[in-house]
Amino acid sequence: MAAPDSAGSAPPSAGLAAPINEPRALRWLRQTEDASRRYYAAWWLGRMRSGHPEAVPLLLQALGERGPAASGITAEPNPVARNAARALGKLGDHRAVAGLLEALEDPDDGLREAAARSLGALGAVQARGPLLRRLASGPSVAGSQQPGSRRLVEPCEAMLEALGDLGMVDLDNPRPLLAVIRPYADHERPVIRSAACRSLLQLTGEPCWGERLVDLLQHEQLQVRRAALLDLGATGWRQAAPAVAATLAENSLKLIALRGLVEESPERDCGGVMPAAEEVALLDTMDRLL
Amino acid sequence: MTSPPHGALQFVSRLVDQVEAAQTADALTTAVEQLAATRHPLAIPCLIQVLGFNNPGAAGAAVGGLVAIGRAAVPAVLANLDDYNYGARAWSVRVLAAVGDLRGLETLERALAQDIGPSVRRAAARGMGGLQLHGEETAQRQQLGERVLPQLQAAGRDGEWIVRYAVAVGMEGMAGWWQPRSEHLKLLQEALQPLRQPTSEDVPVVRLRAELASARLLHHVVVAANGMSS
Repeated sequence: MAAPDSAGSAPPSAGLAAPINEPRALRWLRQTEDASRRYYAAWWLGRMRSGHPEAVPLLLQALGERGPAASGITAEPNPVARNAARALGKLGDHRAVAGLLEALEDPDDGLREAAARSLGALGAVQARGPLLRRLASGPSVAGSQQPGSRRLVEPCEAMLEALGDLGMVDLDNPRPLLAVIRPYADHERPVIRSAACRSLLQLTGEPCWGERLVDLLQHEQLQVRRAALLDLGATGWRQAAPAVAATLAENSLKLIALRGLVEESPERDCGGVMPAAEEVALLDTMDRLL
Repeated sequence: MTSPPHGALQFVSRLVDQVEAAQTADALTTAVEQLAATRHPLAIPCLIQVLGFNNPGAAGAAVGGLVAIGRAAVPAVLANLDDYNYGARAWSVRVLAAVGDLRGLETLERALAQDIGPSVRRAAARGMGGLQLHGEETAQRQQLGERVLPQLQAAGRDGEWIVRYAVAVGMEGMAGWWQPRSEHLKLLQEALQPLRQPTSEDVPVVRLRAELASARLLHHVVVAANGMSS
């Protein structure tokens, strides 16, 4: 899984970091001369979970924008559209789905990545077909490296995670879905394996995928251990708690993962105000990491 | 402490030499772990120095060692608070939070209110609730509670969920030293209230932790009442 919220979306640049408020963010997104302001405003509206009625329509408009940011505050292509895609995933408004599905077909793989994550976050089951189609060629094609770049042909990590987030809702036959995802559990890159195992654990509940994620917590690279921590958190697979607590990584990430084990577990009784005994044990584990 | 072969001074200084001679990050971490395991006051200056090395593995081991040494390490940690090295200061706050010595309280208060790192604010919140008081009079404990609680309450509105989580833990911890207990349990219950409500707290795990804290404080009341009647 990608880094958590603060690092996942672009932070504001120093020059633009003056505190802004919702009216100004909307104004900055409405104007069209200054792309770097649009870029920052899109990020801000998502980060602050704006509920303003104009936010989603303006972000959908920004989602169609192509080209670099005027001031060059970021090197990524289509920065305004990418930030708009990220923000739309955070606002929980289903009017965003059609636009994001369109972005999922864009030639810019970074925009496809942002769109995939947001569609997963919105629980947009209409995205399942397009995501599967893009991943169907498997690790050797969709999961291969682009010429002259470290990037993969498809943003596999985001797409696999989105499929897991979408779950089995409205799915009569899960077999084709699982058949597409399973080969990625043997991808040459450990973070892709982690994303695939996460997704398979969410979809099937089979402990073997959780055990493979726990194995990745021992990986020699810190970056892989971090990814596996966050992926385990997303699944809520509580058997992983002791391994999470013992992982060689920052306590901050272990705490995020343990929060996931509490909140995302299928065993979580959302009506219950008091923590169950098993949850008290998880909370005690968290307390020791503070 | 493992039994030193030729006296404590030689034993610890040999381990200090190993820390200073370490050539790689891993070797440094291992050497610091060995030095930390002595829990010897002679290790304090070297362990404090390691906090500024920008090596998280080694710094974590040094924090563990300083916390294990405990109160004896506090004056040196306070004297070395390095305002220019953010990393070293953050690790120092963690040491002070875990030791819970009253002499570190001002540093924790400043960190909770001002530090840019959520991991530092969360450690400070936990530490302020978990003060280890020895022999202080009821009046002093009362004053301390009146000083600490509003700061934890303010931090209960922190933008980071983990800081609010640590505030719930800290408020629960305050019941361990704030006296007279019966009066203050009610104040702590009220202070926990916003962290328990879905209307004011949107992160489920924070609400659960606050709920647990509240239930444990209630248990304190029962225990205290039983203690009085017997």
